[in-house]
Order: sequence, then structure tokens, then C-alpha cells
Amino acid sequence: MESNTITSSLLNLLFFPGGLFLLLCGLAYEWADRKLLARLQNRYGPRWFQPLADTLKLLAKEEIVPDGVNATLFIGLPIVALASGLTAALYVPLVGFAPAHSFPGDLIVTLYLLSLLTLCMGLAGANTIDRFSLVGATRTLTQLFSYEAPFLLALLGPAIVAGSWQIGTIADYAAGRWLLVTQPLGFLAAVIGLMGKLELPPFDAPEAETEIVAGALTEYSGRGLALFRLGKGIELVIGLTLIAAFYLGGVTNPLLFFAKTLALLLVIVGLQSLLTRLRIDQTVGLWWRYGVLAVLVQWLAVILWPGGLV
Amino acid sequence: MEVENKQQVNRFTVPIGPQHPALKEPGHFLITVEGEIVTDATVRLGYAHRGIERAVEERSWVQSMYILERVCGICSHIHATAYALGVEKLAEVEVPPRAQAIRVLVAEMERIHSHLLWLGVAAHEAGFDTLFMYSWRDRETVMDLLEGLTGNRVNYSANVLGGVKCDVDEAQADAIRQGLEFLEERTHHYLNVVTTDALFLQRTRGVGTMTRTQAELLGATGPTARASGVKRDVRVDAPYAAYDDYPAHMVIETNGDLEARFVVRIKELFESYRIIREVLDTLPPGELTARMPRRVKAGETISRVEAPRGELFYFIKSNGTDQPERIRVRTPTICNMASVVRLAVGHQLADVPMILVGIDPCFSCNDRMVIVEGANAERRSWTWEDLRQYGIEHYHQQSA
Repeated sequence: MESNTITSSLLNLLFFPGGLFLLLCGLAYEWADRKLLARLQNRYGPRWFQPLADTLKLLAKEEIVPDGVNATLFIGLPIVALASGLTAALYVPLVGFAPAHSFPGDLIVTLYLLSLLTLCMGLAGANTIDRFSLVGATRTLTQLFSYEAPFLLALLGPAIVAGSWQIGTIADYAAGRWLLVTQPLGFLAAVIGLMGKLELPPFDAPEAETEIVAGALTEYSGRGLALFRLGKGIELVIGLTLIAAFYLGGVTNPLLFFAKTLALLLVIVGLQSLLTRLRIDQTVGLWWRYGVLAVLVQWLAVILWPGGLV
Repeated sequence: MEVENKQQVNRFTVPIGPQHPALKEPGHFLITVEGEIVTDATVRLGYAHRGIERAVEERSWVQSMYILERVCGICSHIHATAYALGVEKLAEVEVPPRAQAIRVLVAEMERIHSHLLWLGVAAHEAGFDTLFMYSWRDRETVMDLLEGLTGNRVNYSANVLGGVKCDVDEAQADAIRQGLEFLEERTHHYLNVVTTDALFLQRTRGVGTMTRTQAELLGATGPTARASGVKRDVRVDAPYAAYDDYPAHMVIETNGDLEARFVVRIKELFESYRIIREVLDTLPPGELTARMPRRVKAGETISRVEAPRGELFYFIKSNGTDQPERIRVRTPTICNMASVVRLAVGHQLADVPMILVGIDPCFSCNDRMVIVEGANAERRSWTWEDLRQYGIEHYHQQSA
């Protein structure tokens, strides 16, 4: 019995649904994102194995540590970033299965593990002396502070009505209840917050190539870059899973999981293709002027009418 | 290796160029920022100097045409036109009206191609890649039409000294009319997008505003100047080729910001569609070329035309042989460049690429070399080989 639990834990951690499967899943979603965006923009887009090929190629390449950086940090930050993403995955109902691990309050831990990834990118940029990286790092961290609170609050909306801060419990409560209907503002803030988190257009000011090349990651090449990219792919999957589980009537089986997360991805891709990049000051303004307000109104509604307006 | 820590320096500068994703050609902009706000900007040009002016002095009048067509990859026809008009004036050759009309036709199609290309690049700088992709897709229409007409997509080579190479038959005219119909519909859509899309307007309205006084002071030209209310368009002020018969109307906006530059360029597209249709409907019959002497009479002249980016100026001097004595080219980008450096100050770093692209810069066109020596310096003549050697040494020194 004891060894069985350990074996299954290891399986969960390393292969399915965490670990290897999650990495591949992240790459697949990254491909879906790029391909859909390309089709909407009248382009062909990448072939299905392009993200995998990019990652393998980057992993095989030499990692250049530039002058003037703290080498330990430079090499360590991508590892921490990826590890935090993989750890966060353990508390999330991936592919419709119950979370591998669960404890009261794991929602907060998961969200902060996801933020750690962004924080690592910001630190990675600030660690180098490259000017594009520094500007990119400033923007990454500025953006982090602008969307983080509204995003957190948006995911706490379902937590309040479910009466628990445990992802598994909230997901169970939300299964079959489309909280999107009762908490539309929260849903909107969560989706747009996720786009901000992933630095997708129009929130790609931190890596606006026409201004600051590749932003915080300008100096990264080879393995470090590959790990950060993998981390982002994982963040995308986890973010989609959380929002689908909380707002879209739950993800109780693999079919529902893929259908709902991909539908959500389509919405995100549509927004990406429609909107112009916001300047960093406009991003901050948007979140603190409208985002926070919207979520707080949502909270008020949830507290006043716990059963929802319907 | 000793590395300067930029965080320790009080002035934080961000280099844009010579190699940078925002620039499709090399140029160097050193932007001093305080946080995200630009406090100073300087420009350094000359990375794409090719010695074209010197090269044409060692070639015949006919050969020079091929070189001058390659001053600019986007507006090659207008360079050839400016050159041909100047040389024809010197040689006192009367060009047949049909040839002049076809020159106007190709020039306006080139303007469409250039403005659509600019629209895409500007949208990309703003981070609106969907508009970028769609405007470039539509640009293919006019590129295909140009290919059908002249055989080439980019350096059309429609001009020869004394006329044009290509004729327009009814089938081609119909194809062009059809293409224009599609483009006109799309252009209405783009005008709608750039004037109503709320997020896009956040990046263009009130950004990089240049007042009329500033535009005149900085010597701005072309759509950049017209967006600031300066009434300046060579097609209207001093009609050349067949613009007497097919008058162009100036498109003027008074706001002077990036939005105005978008609107001016897009509205100029409608103007081009109108002119092209008029030319196709009333194309005068006759010859395509006039006989051109091999040697051009001694003398000097200037030739001014309206390139898509603004006024293009040619000074041409002949010494009576079959080679030009001196040709001086001034492209519109160099006139507009001062406005970029001036307007960038006080804006966000994120706006700098937009402001730069707002003038529709074309770097390799504007790169010229000037050697300034003391008044007593001996007069020297540089050969092509001297210039080449100088270039090699110059860049070698810089990279050392």
C-alpha cells in the first residue's frame, strides 16, 4: 500500500498528469495558440511539431552566460521558474482528474507559484546588464504588479461561493454550475489576467520586439531560454485549466477538459488578434482603473447574493 | 573583458539600431530614457552608404538609370522618373504624352504599394500584427498588377531615357481596374480601422504631434508634412510628367499626430486610385519613346518629383559627354529625419518606434557621404576604388 502510493505519486509527478505529459501538453497548447493566431491573421502558422523542435534545438544548444551577470542566478532562475510551474500543476485538476495533491488553501499557493515564474523572468532580466533586458525586466515586474491582484481576486470569486480555498473543493462545487453566468466580470478579469500573465498581445509590452528586442530574456539562449519557454507553456495550460474548472462548469473528464480549455484558448487567440499592444502605462491604467473595479463589483455582488443573480 | 555597468551610469540609454528588430534597415538611434520617458534622442545614419552618386559618374547616361533605380527598393520608379525627366530636359528631348501618362500610372501604383507597405510596418510597430498581415496581403494585389504591367514586382524598370518600356493594353487596363476595386474596398476598411479602433487610437492619437510651424522649421516633407497641415506636394506645386493632365489633389490633415499621418497616407490611396482610373480611361495614343542622343548637351538642371515619402530632388550636371558629370540625390527621408529626434523627446520609449516609422523612413536611400575639409585643403578627386577602400577602412576602424 505504502509503496503503491509512492509509485503513483512518482508517476503523477514525473509522467502523468504532471511532468512529461504536462510539458508536452504545454507545447501542444503553444502550437494551438500560434497556429490559430496565424490562421486568424491570414498566415499559415507553424507545423504541429514546431514548438517541440524549437525546444529540443534550444536544449541541445550551448547556453551562453554573458559578461557582468551573476552566473548562478543566470543558470538557476530558469530552473526555479520551470520547477515552480511544474509544482503548481500538482494542485490543479489537469485532464479532468482530481489534483495530485491537495490541502486547504492550495489555491493561494498555486497562484503564487505561477507568479514565481514571472518573477524569475523579471529577475533574470534585472540580473543582466543588457539595456533591453533591464527595460524588459522593469516592464515585466510592473505588469506583474498590475494584473496580479485583479487576477487573484477574480479566482477568489468562485472560492467565496464555494466556501473553500482548496482548488479541488472549488472545482467540485463549480462542476455543473456555470459560474461564468453568475460572475461574468470575474470571468473577464480572469481571462484577461491570464493573457497579462502570459505576456500575450495586447499585454506583450514586456517583450515588445520592436522596442526592446526580447525584453527580459534578451540575453538568454540555449537551455535557459528553452526552460523559460516550457515554463510559459505550462503556465498556459494551468491557467486555462483553472479558469475552465472555476468558471466554465468544471472539467470532470478528459473530454470536457480538452473541449473547454481549447474553447477558452480560442477566445484568447481571438483577443490577441484583435487588439493593439498596450503601452506599459496603459496596461497599468487598465488594470487599476477598470480591472480592479470590475472584480470588486463582482465580489460585492457575490457577497450580497451568494447564490448568484440568477 | 571590462564591461561597463549601465545601471551605474546616470544616463540610461537604449540603443535602437544599427541592428534592431524595429528597423528593417540599419540606422542608429540613441535614446536616453528616464524610466520609460525619453529625455534625449540622437540619430546616426550612414550604415548603408553605397557610393551611388560616385558610381553613376563613371557610367553612361543609360547605365546610370539602372543604378539610380536601385537607390530605393520601394520607390524605384520615382527615382528613375526624376532622373529621366532631368536628363530629357538637358537633352531637350520631347517625351511622347503616352509615355508620360504611363509614368504617372506606374508612379501612382508604386505609391499604393509603398503606402500599403508602410501601413503594415506601422501597424507592426504598434503591435497590431493582424493589420500588418492583412495590409501586406492586399499589397500583393498591386504588386501582381505591377508585375503584369512591367514584368517586375519591385524594380519595375518601366522608364527608359526618352520614354517608357511598357505599354498598357485593354486586358491589362481591365485587370488594373478590377484590382483597384478590391483595393478601394479594403482601403475604406483600413481607414475605418485606424480612425475608430479604440486601442489603436491610444497608440496614435496625440502621439508624436508636430505643429505646422515645427514641420516648416524642421523641413518636413511629403505625407509627414501634409499631416501637419503644410500644403506641399510637388505633383500639385510643380506638376511634372503628365500631372498637368491628371491633376492630383492634396490630402491635408491638421492634427499633426500619428493618427493624422495614417489618415493622410490612406486618403492618398484613394487619390491614387482616382488618378490611375483617369489615366487608364484617357490614355493618349502614340509612341512610347522618343529618340534619345547618346551624348547629352552640357548644362545643369534640377528635377523634383513627389515620391511616396515626399519630395525627391535630383541635381544633374552634364559636360556634354555620354557620362554624367555630377548627380546629386536628396531623398525625402533625410528631410524628415530631424523631426523624429525632435518629436521623440517627452514620449514613452514604446512610442519611439512608432514615431520613427511615422515618417516612413528609408535608410539606404538617404545615406550620402560628405567630406568636409579646411578651406585651404587641396582639391582632390576620388575614384571609385578610393571610395571603396575608404569604406573598408572606415568600418574596420569602427569595429576595432
